[in-house]
Amino acid sequence: MSEHDTKHQARTDPQRVRVHIDEHRYESPNPNTGAALYVLAKIHQDHQLFREVEGDREDEPIGFTGNEIRLREDEHFHSADAEHAALFTVEVLYDGVKKPFVVRPNETVKQLLDQAIKAFGPLPNPHMLSLYLAGKELPDAETLKQAGVKPNDVLLLRPSTVKGGV
Amino acid sequence: MSTLYRLPSEVLEETFKHLRECGRGHEECQVLWVSPWDKPEVITRVVHPKHAAHGGGFVLDDQWLNDFWMELGDTNSGIRVQVHTHPAEAFHSKTDDDYPIIHKPGFLSLVIPNFGLGPVGFDDAYLTEIQPDGRWRKVTIPSRLVVA
Repeated sequence: MSEHDTKHQARTDPQRVRVHIDEHRYESPNPNTGAALYVLAKIHQDHQLFREVEGDREDEPIGFTGNEIRLREDEHFHSADAEHAALFTVEVLYDGVKKPFVVRPNETVKQLLDQAIKAFGPLPNPHMLSLYLAGKELPDAETLKQAGVKPNDVLLLRPSTVKGGV
Repeated sequence: MSTLYRLPSEVLEETFKHLRECGRGHEECQVLWVSPWDKPEVITRVVHPKHAAHGGGFVLDDQWLNDFWMELGDTNSGIRVQVHTHPAEAFHSKTDDDYPIIHKPGFLSLVIPNFGLGPVGFDDAYLTEIQPDGRWRKVTIPSRLVVA
């Protein structure tokens, strides 16, 4: 198939669109997933992918998830590493369910913990729950940056202690 | 919002096998009943957590809990019931109330008496459920569990 044919197909097939990621052109199925866009453009999961938006609004973070994304022809995306991303996405996992959260590097672990407890709620006795990353409990008072949280990390929302006894 | 869970008899038998072999008649033990999120009402497997135990209690291993949390995400499964033994009478202690593995309303905790050495089944067992206000309330076993 020639380049001309490929472009033509991109314009006439509603299930495929042309998108631009870091100023390179790609053809993508539509809809697609965030994770598939990372793979398509070979973006490392430590980086954050953004959908560019017009006006003064901040660009929309796209997480490395299986969530469906509807694309428009010739949409532009760009990636940034954790140091330069003002916003990024992480996932929180509770009882087998993952939910995405858009966060800022300078917000605290406690702020994300509160958001997660609300999203998975109602969870009575929330003081028993903490966020974990790479096997370690994250200190509530640290910022996400201080705690080493990076784009597309999966954090565990779980009780600090599980025990029983008479 | 309460669920009536279907429990295969093999899962119940495997549960007692773990409780007896691990507890050996002198230590408490815990297992977890798990089902997939796309069919939560049918318990599909029993999980025996890594834990430290003594005659009057147990505590789950922290690293095991992290690994199991990831496995639940990978298999799209959730924990529906925690099951543990007591040395004698089955009831829910203050420690049992305060440190469950799941904190959601509707989550169930089943306590089996006599270190699980009695007949396989729910004789003298105690079932309790987390309420919307976070408190536990005793519920009848047939209202929440049916052995299929």
